[in-house]
Amino acid sequence: MRPFEFVAPETAEKAVAILAENSPNAKPLAGGTDMVVDLKHTNAVPKVVVDLNKIEEFRGIEMTDRGLRIGSLVTHTEIMEHPLVAEHAPAMIDAARTIGAVQTRNLGTLGGNLVTCVPSLDSGPVLVALDAEVTVVGNDGRRQMPLTEFFVGPRKTALNPDELLADIIVPTAMLGRATHFLKFGLRKGQALALVNGASSLRLDGGKVADARIALGAVAPVVIRAGKAEDLVNGTDADEAVLAEAGDLAAGECKPIDDFRASADYRRDLVRVLTKRTLETAYAIAKDKG
Amino acid sequence: MMIDVKMTVNGQERTASVAPETTLLTFLRDSLVLTGSKLGCDVGDCGACTVIVNGNAVNSCLMLAVQADGKDITTIEGLSDFEHLHPLQAVFEQMSSFQCGFCAPGMIISAKHLLDKNPHPSKGEVQEALSGNLCRCTGYTKIVDAILELTSEEASAA
Repeated sequence: MRPFEFVAPETAEKAVAILAENSPNAKPLAGGTDMVVDLKHTNAVPKVVVDLNKIEEFRGIEMTDRGLRIGSLVTHTEIMEHPLVAEHAPAMIDAARTIGAVQTRNLGTLGGNLVTCVPSLDSGPVLVALDAEVTVVGNDGRRQMPLTEFFVGPRKTALNPDELLADIIVPTAMLGRATHFLKFGLRKGQALALVNGASSLRLDGGKVADARIALGAVAPVVIRAGKAEDLVNGTDADEAVLAEAGDLAAGECKPIDDFRASADYRRDLVRVLTKRTLETAYAIAKDKG
Repeated sequence: MMIDVKMTVNGQERTASVAPETTLLTFLRDSLVLTGSKLGCDVGDCGACTVIVNGNAVNSCLMLAVQADGKDITTIEGLSDFEHLHPLQAVFEQMSSFQCGFCAPGMIISAKHLLDKNPHPSKGEVQEALSGNLCRCTGYTKIVDAILELTSEEASAA
């Protein structure tokens, strides 16, 4: 690794000030599962590495009046083991479980996963299907935005170089919502998603309402399959509706061909995943009554 | 730039002055001469460098030594003394779970982390717990068998 300076400030305000002072030659470090690899194996080594791990306000999972707040430094393992997540947003646990392996889940953070903004990020679809919002802290204060606006493009977020992701909030209205996540990879462990996605919905008079279908790894960022959502709203999500929703979602995504899979194969997976996640979300909603 | 760190490694307090670009793995191997943890892929895929930091199994190649300041670390060397093997080490030996042995320290640390959290794992749970540890020799069967053998022995002894 090439030499760099290392600082570990204890407040978010100090951290963003250091980032601004040294911009664009400073980079934040959270869990390190991507960042330390970049420090070793790319030429873009920053002059200053700003370790965020001493910033207490970026930690913790708690219920607030806005919803379930998850600090950006919370690790995937912490999400998997937290009772509030299990109670109010259990699909987040299903998604966290598919990320990397034990060792990387113990290091890697939710904030880090979102900030990498790779199209296949596994924490994205469930949060998009639950209308998650994020808080960004910068030198001019804090701003909030929907996660869908935070994702700008492949490896590109709405963060300025001197801003940090502080927390992620699942809004109160979406807590306990019937949600199902699926990931298709080439292996069970340590695989990047060929396609991942989540559906969430509620029932209104026994019919599907406000469905959300979020798809990952099939477009530059996590997308919503709006046409498929419109189709399932107001239905009983029967076999024919689900099949058509799958077809519509496959048409709405824009997967690429690469060495992992062809675009056609990914489209087929979207068809299956949309159908299965809707079917299960609907069953969960029915179960809840 | 050098930074002073103090950490507990295998129960012993260690202090050192490290460059920020030193990984925990490099620090353990080169400065403390604890060469049981291996450098494999160097990107967090193979698990040969796995150590336990504050109760969590992590890839020591993905952590900077300065980030381990104040932490409690267990490496493969911390599991046994020169007279007694750790039960996991003993069962791996007894079941011939090693071939070249390169992955073994990481495998055993991951297995220890699993059993610390879940003393009676199912076969599926063992496989999932080891999915971050790659072995190119054994095909994993004897590694998984060894861990299950140990937990079933303990169950029958209890």
